[in-house]
Amino acid sequence: MNVQRTMALLKLELKKLIRDPTFLFSLILLPVILTLAFGLAMRDIPTDSNPDISIFDFMVPGIYGFTSVYIVMTVAMAFTDYRKEGLLDRINTTPTTSAEFMGSHVISNIIISILQVAIITVLALILGFRIRSTGFLLAFAFVGFLALSSVGFGLISATFAKSSGAAVGVSMIFFMPQMIFGTWIPMSDDTQVVAMFFPIYYSTNSIQMIFSGVPLTDITIWINLVVLAIYSIVIVIVGTLIFKRFGKA
Amino acid sequence: MTISEESDLKKGSSDNIVVEIQNLKKNFDDIKAVNDLSFKINKGEIFGLLGPNGAGKTTTIKMMIGLLKPTSGEIYVGGYNVRKDLNKIKELIGVCPQQAAIYKFLSGRENIELYGNLHAIDKKVLKERTDELLEAVDFTEQSKRKAKKYSGGMLRQINMLMALIGDPDILFLDEPTVGMDARVRRKTWEFIGSLKERGKTVVLTTHYIEEAEALSDHVAIIDFGELIDLGTPKGLMEKHNVEDLEKVFLKITGRRITEGL
Repeated sequence: MNVQRTMALLKLELKKLIRDPTFLFSLILLPVILTLAFGLAMRDIPTDSNPDISIFDFMVPGIYGFTSVYIVMTVAMAFTDYRKEGLLDRINTTPTTSAEFMGSHVISNIIISILQVAIITVLALILGFRIRSTGFLLAFAFVGFLALSSVGFGLISATFAKSSGAAVGVSMIFFMPQMIFGTWIPMSDDTQVVAMFFPIYYSTNSIQMIFSGVPLTDITIWINLVVLAIYSIVIVIVGTLIFKRFGKA
Repeated sequence: MTISEESDLKKGSSDNIVVEIQNLKKNFDDIKAVNDLSFKINKGEIFGLLGPNGAGKTTTIKMMIGLLKPTSGEIYVGGYNVRKDLNKIKELIGVCPQQAAIYKFLSGRENIELYGNLHAIDKKVLKERTDELLEAVDFTEQSKRKAKKYSGGMLRQINMLMALIGDPDILFLDEPTVGMDARVRRKTWEFIGSLKERGKTVVLTTHYIEEAEALSDHVAIIDFGELIDLGTPKGLMEKHNVEDLEKVFLKITGRRITEGL
């Protein structure tokens, strides 16, 4: 893997985040708006199970998940646009390898996801959110892997969408269930079983455990991390292969 | 397998050949987009692929640069077989696609530098080469602006410079002047002509008769995916006893190149 090529493509994606209003809104401003809205509305309402924990405290890990899963849509839109504008074909005529190209996308989206978590956390803390664990940094690992799975789902969506508008629609197949089963919507035992089919479940569930003070020695947290990591790596590999085989034209 | 192992280059009959196409065919379902095309391109020449829209020019170029797989036939670029050694070919070529493939949120200069980085050019060399290219087409000032603010002609200029930043030995220019006004087109012709002086081999597709005549050392006239005739512009006109390539096409096919546009 050539570092110069990968870094150039990585910088390209990060410049797009800053310069393209659609991506800036979707990936940075939307998390800010969500955190502010939920924080101001829910920070003083305690949960039924524990009066010390507000509904907002319960929701913050869900907001992390929501913003990471939103990456499915932005990746799907970006790849359909790149394909339509001939940018993918053009890159294919340079010595750039698939690993360098995909690597830069994966790294940029993980960086974006971590940035989102940092922004959400700072805002949430200002609004009264309380972290009851020293293992907070582990949250970054969970959202990093979740972002990885989102890149994979985004590539699968881009394979079947012919335009960026259609990409938004197709990516809903992966976005909506994850939003319903893995953000801030309370789940029954039955829905929890369904949720286990989606990567967001493992992220949100574990981050909620960490933030509510469950010690890091709890094996469930680590099992969730391993399951999420394997799930995400498989999805990004499958997404890359499907897009390479069927999505270029 | 390289051309030196399999083609005329090995046989020592044409050491000067940098691109060789042998019995190339491309079918899209039952449509024969390219049908049994064969020709050779010499080192340091401008080779024009002339034909009306839909003649198979872009399909041929796309197969030469590895973006489309041929149905049958062989292509050798810079001594390498496109099917087997595409990565080596990518080190040798620069491609200016027909559609201006440019990141609109980057400036013109940033687009050029991005492609320089994709060719892993040393940072210092990249800056010097970018300055030189922009200066050559009087684009230095405009290059600082975001590409989304460029006119169609300006986008095409940057599109071409992006193909040149890697200092390729072989350049594929697919309709590079479409959408340019007459003044910029003339200037671009001069620039393409100067590439030959720098030892570059240029494969140029066009449906502008003037462009093919003014720039090309050899012209392959193609229609319905087939090679109709091949030679120097002057040679073709003399052979068919007419004054321009349009009339050559008319004489051979009974219709004008511009009829397909």
